[in-house]
Amino acid sequence: MDQVIVFLQALLEQTGAAHFSFGNLVMIIIGATMIYLAITKHYEPLLLIGIGFSCIVANVPGPPDDVPGGQAISALLYVVKEGGLFHYAYEGVAKLIIPPLIFLGVGAMTDFGPMIANPKLVILGAGAHLGIFVALILAKMLGFTLAEAGAIGIIGGADGPMAIFVTVKLAPHLLGPVSVAAYSYMALMPMIQPPVMKLLTTKEERQIGMAQSRKVTKLEKIAFPVVIAIIVNLFFPPVAPLITMLMLGNLLKECGVTDRLSKTAAGGLMNVIIMILTVAIGSTMAADKFLTWQTIEIVVLGLIAFMVGTGSGVITAKIMNLFLKTKINPLIGSAGIASVPIAARVSHIVAYKENPNNLLIYHAMGPNLAGVFGTAISGGIMLALIGVS
Amino acid sequence: MNAFIPDTMQGALLLSAIDFFLSFFVISFIGVVLAGFPLLNRIGAWVTKPSKAKAAASKASEKPAAQPPASVPGGDDIPPDDLAVIAAVVAAMIGDHRILHIERQARGAEWSSAGRMAQHHSHTPRDR
Repeated sequence: MDQVIVFLQALLEQTGAAHFSFGNLVMIIIGATMIYLAITKHYEPLLLIGIGFSCIVANVPGPPDDVPGGQAISALLYVVKEGGLFHYAYEGVAKLIIPPLIFLGVGAMTDFGPMIANPKLVILGAGAHLGIFVALILAKMLGFTLAEAGAIGIIGGADGPMAIFVTVKLAPHLLGPVSVAAYSYMALMPMIQPPVMKLLTTKEERQIGMAQSRKVTKLEKIAFPVVIAIIVNLFFPPVAPLITMLMLGNLLKECGVTDRLSKTAAGGLMNVIIMILTVAIGSTMAADKFLTWQTIEIVVLGLIAFMVGTGSGVITAKIMNLFLKTKINPLIGSAGIASVPIAARVSHIVAYKENPNNLLIYHAMGPNLAGVFGTAISGGIMLALIGVS
Repeated sequence: MNAFIPDTMQGALLLSAIDFFLSFFVISFIGVVLAGFPLLNRIGAWVTKPSKAKAAASKASEKPAAQPPASVPGGDDIPPDDLAVIAAVVAAMIGDHRILHIERQARGAEWSSAGRMAQHHSHTPRDR
């Protein structure tokens, strides 16, 4: 009988069940919540399904690693190990191959017309980035180095690829928690932003209607990526790879003679990258690495950055209204944090609920797209001042 | 790293202040550049104008000018071809009909109209 018990114990040791911890359970619940929100609430399913699923699998312990003194690692982390499929996926993130490709796809999907049509709204793209610096200062107060604080602050830019780019340059050891915080909050913006937006605006302000902007010609849309690429490469070389790819993708879309390329960049290529990226991010959410005080601090600081950024965008719009003859709806200010098009969609939905005749999506896309440049510029200046090339 | 800013609390404040205001400045500069974009259309029109005039002149020398389209009752400036297509679509959908009145959508409200139309269509019963 004793032999049978010893045999069963040995068998159990070879499975993951013996290594299951309370932290794993917490992370599985977090992953399941992400999948639930994606399916039932439609909160950015393209991001949350992959992150949530890989978070769950990363927290199902497997047998002990085959290295001496190895820990129990999940099946997913086995494929993340060197030589495995997702090892290269994660390397693609860490070596800054995937972020520029994402920007290529985003550029091929994006119509920059709203930003070109109403240039004064680009100010909101800068105003909504106060959250970056509030988080940076708070991170420094908590004892992070300036480079780490910069990487944490950039979460407030709500721009996943840019957050990855800046973090790899400034504090690569924080890539996991920073990318998880950035992408998770981007997906959860429909929950985070509306309370802040409503708190800072009156019902009358939320109901302000906006007139249609001028029509943007094809010539302007073709000139835009070329002009912006020149400006960014000239003045912000640290972030030029991302913005250059964004502009290349947009030129492929707007020139009208490279449909095959723009459809591939915006479609198949983008979908493959999203799958790789979400699994690479989710696989960093193993409980032993994720449930630490440092990660919790980063997650909380990221949330503060998002909320302050949302608020500062709305307040910037209200300040602009003091000087504008034709008032703008301050709800579009919150779209100034970069996450395209999630933030613009949130502005639209909040305004639509107040007044079903008020359709702000096109107007909100202007500051939303400017926010992409705002984050890139903030990140570029940060890299230059901290001394990273 | 060749840091311009010291790794201190004062450095964090300084970095934040410089970065935030410089971002404002640069974004405003991009806004100013974009505000000049309509000039591109003038330049584009100026560049293409001579070739258009040339083409029109050679066309005129080849054949006589086409007859101007007949005026369309109720259709203000809607081209007759468009009216014919609209009438054909209505006929296909509801059969015999007579157009009593036709006009363009209110100018400057296309986005709102499109949004309202999408909203109304979401309530339309569909065959399953």
